[in-house]
Amino acid sequence: MKRWVNVLGRVGTTLIAISLALLLVSFIPSTQISSSKGSGGVQPGQFMVVFSPGTITPQEEVQTAITVNGTLNIYLLAVNIQFQFINGNFSYNFNLTDLQELLEEHPEQIKWQHEVENSHYERNYNPTKVMNATVVAYNQGSETAQIEYDVALESILAPGDKVRTIAFVAAPIGVIMAVPWLLDLWKQRKKK
Amino acid sequence: MGKGKPFLEVLASAIHEDFRFPFLEIFAFLYTLGTFAMANFTAGVYSQIGTNETVAFTVTSSLIGFSILIFLILVFKNIAYGLGSELEKGIIQTYFSYPLKRRAILTAKLLSGIGVSLLLFLGIQISAFYIMAPDIVLPQFGTIVLTYAANLSYPLFLSAILLLLTLKLQRGGIGLVVGFVLYIAMSIVSGLALLVATSTKSPLVLQIMSLISPSYALQYHYGGLANVPTLSLPWTPTLTEATLYVVGSYVIVAALFILGYVYFSRRLNL
Repeated sequence: MKRWVNVLGRVGTTLIAISLALLLVSFIPSTQISSSKGSGGVQPGQFMVVFSPGTITPQEEVQTAITVNGTLNIYLLAVNIQFQFINGNFSYNFNLTDLQELLEEHPEQIKWQHEVENSHYERNYNPTKVMNATVVAYNQGSETAQIEYDVALESILAPGDKVRTIAFVAAPIGVIMAVPWLLDLWKQRKKK
Repeated sequence: MGKGKPFLEVLASAIHEDFRFPFLEIFAFLYTLGTFAMANFTAGVYSQIGTNETVAFTVTSSLIGFSILIFLILVFKNIAYGLGSELEKGIIQTYFSYPLKRRAILTAKLLSGIGVSLLLFLGIQISAFYIMAPDIVLPQFGTIVLTYAANLSYPLFLSAILLLLTLKLQRGGIGLVVGFVLYIAMSIVSGLALLVATSTKSPLVLQIMSLISPSYALQYHYGGLANVPTLSLPWTPTLTEATLYVVGSYVIVAALFILGYVYFSRRLNL
């Protein structure tokens, strides 16, 4: 019995130590890598590339804040849309046909999607693998919509919410496991 | 009384000695912090033009980099100071009064000294990696396991050398120094070996080195070192070849540990 109390106690204190490390990791502030801020109108049936950071990693987070006057569908797509010099003009290597084809035939490339109508919308996205990313605003309605956006790519040590949740679950379990052992240790010291 | 209970008794005592409070907790804290702080996914960004396997390999290698040093310190402390001081002070003789064979006593000591450390290292690292990037860990689990196996082979080889030295000298201090010198020497030797292989246009030196430290074979398979252009690499082993080097290195490690067991069971005079 005493051996089990010892084993559980040490597993418990180890869980507490891991939880403390996770909490510390989750509270380390993020740093901005790049950002895109601006406003404009999106014509009916057209789309706007809001932010295209290229490749993002699990230690990065796309933070999106968008205000829409009208109706727009906001997508985070797993594609790398770049501004290129093609046939004497600067344009994106991605056109409306590409977007429609992607939305219809490759839904797995849509990481999140939200319809914003005359409101403010905020969303953070942390990828679970190394992937391409582009935030796109697509007007599927019949009227021109106005958009104001502030999107940033932040460098993080770990996905904060996920890590904090694990720490908040693991720490109490660790305490419950460690208490009998710590009490035993205290009693032994008192006897000495 | 069965043999299980005395074995557990010795194992519990060894764990109690090797991981006195709060050693285990401090190392768990450091592993967790080190894994998140040292994870380098940007290496994966550059290798994204390659395969998902390459991404998994580069990210896993970055995770292992710093934490393997903590693992080495823990294992060396357990073998050199744990087993070494018990041999020096004659504490190990008290274990001989248990109805156990000598090899069972050594197994208990190694399970505590290396096994628990390994469990802590792998458990925390793979869990932390999964928290960060489940879509890399799950599909590429085989690559991740192979990368860990390749990277842990040399530290285990050093642990076996340290065990033999500790048993022979019946003290841990010298073994500890030799262990760390060998660890540092390998990074110097690997640089020299690459130079020799490039100048002689023969991968033989790299192949010999990979038998002891197969992480190099795997590194060359997945496109080489960061500061060496892939085209100038003198050796690009296939995955099967790299895996064979990993297996070969573990055969050497196992042989050294068997030697340690034979010495402890038959030759060690206490």
